[in-house]
Amino acid sequence: MYLQAWLPIAALLTQVLARGGTIGWSEAAAIVFPMCLLYAFICQASWYLCNAVPLRIAGPGSRFEADTVRLVGSHATAAVGSAGVWVGVGWIWALILSSAVGLTGIDARYVTQIPILFISGVLLFLIAVALNYLLITFQTSQRAQSKALELQVLAREAELKALRAQIDPHFLFNSLNSINALVMTDREAARQMCVLLADFLRGSLKFGSAERIPLAEEMRLAECYLDIERVRLGSRLKIQRDIDPECEACLVPPLITQPLVENAITHGVAAMIEGGVVSLHATRNGAGVKIVIENPFEEENKVETGSGLGLKNVRMRLANLYDGDARMDVNQNAGLFRVELQMPCDRV
Amino acid sequence: MTKIRVAIVDDEQLARKLLREYLTEFEDFEIVAECANGFEAVKAVADLKPDLLLLDIQMPRLDGFEVLELVGREVGVIFVTAYDKYALRAFEVHAVDYLLKPFTLERFREAVNRARSRLDSKDPFPPAELAAAARTPGLHLERVAIRDGANVHVLPVSKIDYIEAQDDYVCFHSEGKRLLKQQTLAEVERALDPSQFVRVHRSYILNIDRLAKLELYAKDSHAAILRNGSRLPVSRSGYARLNALL
Repeated sequence: MYLQAWLPIAALLTQVLARGGTIGWSEAAAIVFPMCLLYAFICQASWYLCNAVPLRIAGPGSRFEADTVRLVGSHATAAVGSAGVWVGVGWIWALILSSAVGLTGIDARYVTQIPILFISGVLLFLIAVALNYLLITFQTSQRAQSKALELQVLAREAELKALRAQIDPHFLFNSLNSINALVMTDREAARQMCVLLADFLRGSLKFGSAERIPLAEEMRLAECYLDIERVRLGSRLKIQRDIDPECEACLVPPLITQPLVENAITHGVAAMIEGGVVSLHATRNGAGVKIVIENPFEEENKVETGSGLGLKNVRMRLANLYDGDARMDVNQNAGLFRVELQMPCDRV
Repeated sequence: MTKIRVAIVDDEQLARKLLREYLTEFEDFEIVAECANGFEAVKAVADLKPDLLLLDIQMPRLDGFEVLELVGREVGVIFVTAYDKYALRAFEVHAVDYLLKPFTLERFREAVNRARSRLDSKDPFPPAELAAAARTPGLHLERVAIRDGANVHVLPVSKIDYIEAQDDYVCFHSEGKRLLKQQTLAEVERALDPSQFVRVHRSYILNIDRLAKLELYAKDSHAAILRNGSRLPVSRSGYARLNALL
């Protein structure tokens, strides 16, 4: 198809040569068509040059000028060079034609046409360069588009999975059972529990679809969850919180701590007869934010501890969203389970 | 009229409170114990011999089924849980009923009436069937609950070296300790992960992680030497099973 595009160009050049008067139509065609075939390949080679000298979107002033000089310079040189070579090869071809095929004198007459052929060569080369840049830009934008789409799909999937994993229905059933128990004896507490549950559900739904939420909101939701569990577990659950006000404005992925807090209860405190303290810490850490969740756990039950779905989920989300700039460290020893999240502190 | 004696077992105080409250309208029922975990429940059943257990399943250390396994079967059970996934297993251990939290007073009445008629019947408890036998297929035992007088041991299966049949009991050997449990070796074998535990002999099940080497000591007869130096006889079929696994 590319070569087909050269047919009209070859026809045009043939006409230019024949118009000069000294060369006949058939002679012109005999010279021009092989030359155009050759030039088609030369121009195609400019693709590599275009890739080597990419177009840049204007950056800071001096840089832009340097880039432009380099760009124009390299293409002008290449155009002049390849047109020169091309015309030269054409001359050799004319010599061969005159001596071998009997088109005597064609070489001499060809020489008179060299300037116009040379100019055409330069122009054709530059057109090819322009077309190549167009093609490159188009391809880049398409690639970027499909990449963006792919990322979007991934993020959405992770979000959905996370959401599905977030609210364990048994948490709801147990909470409702607590309300059921409180209704007769402590109506005020029952009401409070209803409100806590509603707050938690509303928050999960509202923030679940957001891209990022302030850490203050994230921690409020985690505390809401813990407060509900405290009604259920009573004195077995103690909560310790320490949120540095400095990091409350940092934007974090919504509900990123929820699976961790849930693990701290179900595999930690709720699985212990005497219960324990779940602690929630958040501090600034250089340019980032560090969140630490700690809970005691029954070492005998290591099989059940951190069975991994929640942790895997959080790890995957961080990897998807921060591309290696966030990390999660998990360690368990001396009966203490500790998860540490570190991520950049993005702000609005 | 003798009252029906009930023990409430749930690790959540509010859940226990609810059951106590629901039970007040039944004058022929008497709450004799309130237990916050499985250990307390095992002890309460041994000491107080209740007729009926209102039993939660997910509890710390010792779950409802393990409690049931440890106390034997001379007690009726109503399971009370937020999880529906244990219903089949509950049915297999002949539970009187299975209450899903949260439940209404009406539903609770139904369960209690069912318990009453079961206790009134001539043969309230069908032949003893160990909870270990009623395990979801494909799921293997992760720990063994063993009662030793007033104490309850929870032994993770990974800590078992080998298991030995002794008359009506099986003896679990673990870290130099011996724990006896009234059960047959065949039942234990069924509940354990077959890729981890091998019946090497009519009277022995071996944890293959503990195997140091196999010795030939007579024609067609081998002995397994364990890492801790113990020596177990290996029968011909046991040897074939071991070979298939190794």
